[in-house]
Amino acid sequence: MAVGVGVHLLMVFLSVAPPNAVSKQHGKAVEAWVFPEFEQNWKLFAPNPLQQNIAVQVRAEVRMKDGGLITTGWTDLSAQDGAAIHGNLAPSHAQQNELRRGWDFLTATHTDDNRPVGMRGALSEDYLRRIVVLRLYRTDPTSRDGVIQRVQVRSRTTNVQPPSWSDEQVPDKPYYRELPWWTVRADEAAGGVR
Amino acid sequence: MNRAPATLSHALTRVTEAALGPYQSAVIRIGFALTWLLYLLREFPYRQELYGPSGPWSLAMVRRLTGDNHAFTALTWVNGQPWFEFCYALAVLAGAALLVGWRTRTASVLFMVGVVSLQNRSIFIGDGGDNVLHLMSIYLVFTRCGQVWSLDARRAARAAAARARGERVRADRTGPALWAVLGLALVTATATGRLFGNSWLIPALLWAVWAALGLWWLVQRRARSDEPRILLDVIANVLHNGALVVIMAEACLIYATAGWYKIQGSRWQDGTAVYYPLHLDYFTPWPGLAGLLSASATMLTIVAYGTVTVQVAFPFTLFNRRVKNVLLVLLILEHAVIAVALGLPFFSLAMITADAVFLPTSFLLRIGRLAARARGRFVREGGGTVPAPRSPEESTSGHVGFTA
Repeated sequence: MAVGVGVHLLMVFLSVAPPNAVSKQHGKAVEAWVFPEFEQNWKLFAPNPLQQNIAVQVRAEVRMKDGGLITTGWTDLSAQDGAAIHGNLAPSHAQQNELRRGWDFLTATHTDDNRPVGMRGALSEDYLRRIVVLRLYRTDPTSRDGVIQRVQVRSRTTNVQPPSWSDEQVPDKPYYRELPWWTVRADEAAGGVR
Repeated sequence: MNRAPATLSHALTRVTEAALGPYQSAVIRIGFALTWLLYLLREFPYRQELYGPSGPWSLAMVRRLTGDNHAFTALTWVNGQPWFEFCYALAVLAGAALLVGWRTRTASVLFMVGVVSLQNRSIFIGDGGDNVLHLMSIYLVFTRCGQVWSLDARRAARAAAARARGERVRADRTGPALWAVLGLALVTATATGRLFGNSWLIPALLWAVWAALGLWWLVQRRARSDEPRILLDVIANVLHNGALVVIMAEACLIYATAGWYKIQGSRWQDGTAVYYPLHLDYFTPWPGLAGLLSASATMLTIVAYGTVTVQVAFPFTLFNRRVKNVLLVLLILEHAVIAVALGLPFFSLAMITADAVFLPTSFLLRIGRLAARARGRFVREGGGTVPAPRSPEESTSGHVGFTA
């Protein structure tokens, strides 16, 4: 029992410690022990907290009932999340984590020129596309009237301005990262959670 | 020269003869169960979007990912809406059962299955709070966390009192029935290839606990001598004490990691780190409060330096009771502020619960007495016929330490 406790704690310790000689040598064993059920990440707001607001925005190409094709303007889905969180004592994970972490998942599994890496890259595109389609059908008037054919997602990154007493200067111009248009599958357009 | 072996044997006696920290293990059982229960109820309107079969993270996508990372989830076993609703309801019920300590060991297993299944199904919607719950739900299975403040303890005390009065105690029917139903479920899930289809750790644990519960019951009822009973008791105590060590070490690891990595951050060094999360759109439910909290440069710096100091120092202060308690108060206060200011109530509640494992017994007993008194008043005013609650000590005498 004591051995079991010791080994478990050592493995978990090595998994959260910075890469070192021991963990480099036994990385495979540590990974095999810790994943998937004992995975952990406690770098909460560390080494530095995030200092940018990253908003996910979307626009859609919608086939209307009369056969016409309309391209909508950009909808700021993160602003919708923000509004839902505002004055909320217990924000839902659907508001606070879904889109935010969905975007993190995508950027973590894509190259800088927006190409997916491996299975997870492909999965992250499917996931984000399904999230934005769900949100558009729920809130965008044009999308609600027609059928979404394609969507395009972009992120808008703005620096949090330093505190008023600080003499630090950071650019206040937003930075955009635009992904290619994605085709929405027929079953996605029809179904899903609304 | 003889002192070392004596100390060792003393320590060995301690970890085998009793499940230590009965109140601490009860308070974390109640805390984690409550956190999860409140979370599930809060997310009830959003459950389809977060965990449902036709949510953005579809079942087909879940299967592709879990096929790769071998994480356990029961939600992929059956397609369709009814299975999902059944699992969600079961997770709620398991949380409630664990909260009140009804069939605590079984409840803790079902609680773990609920937590792990839902979280592994949708790994991209969780945060640090979910991570804490995930780990603790597994560790809790190994603890005897229902020794006090539980329906199990009350039932055991009533049975013991009845025996003392010379009355015959009716044999327990619910336990064996529950065990049989869960056995049937395990056999079905295994025979259809679902249980071990993707992972082995959690499934093996489920079978092990089920077998152990069966053995336990058999030995309690049928054993001719006391020895098998004592042996099982010793094993259960050792497992409990080991798990409690892991839980405490895990809490220390959380603070140590969070603290030591922060030290390296320039924002924690220049004292503005706390300002930034308070100005992220996803974490400012109350912009006015955030503005107030980040108005003073001096205050922000004190909080930033204080946070890092407390987090780094916490594991070392366990060697000094008084300092440890001061730091505990600070950590609990900070998490209470985070709950509101950053809109992270479930994360904060999970962290406060993890902290609670370090609370002194005398303090927990005082809380227990207050709760019992409040309940007594409530019940009396309600004109109920429920007998007056026992004080915690009374209801647990004879259950805390098995000295057979």
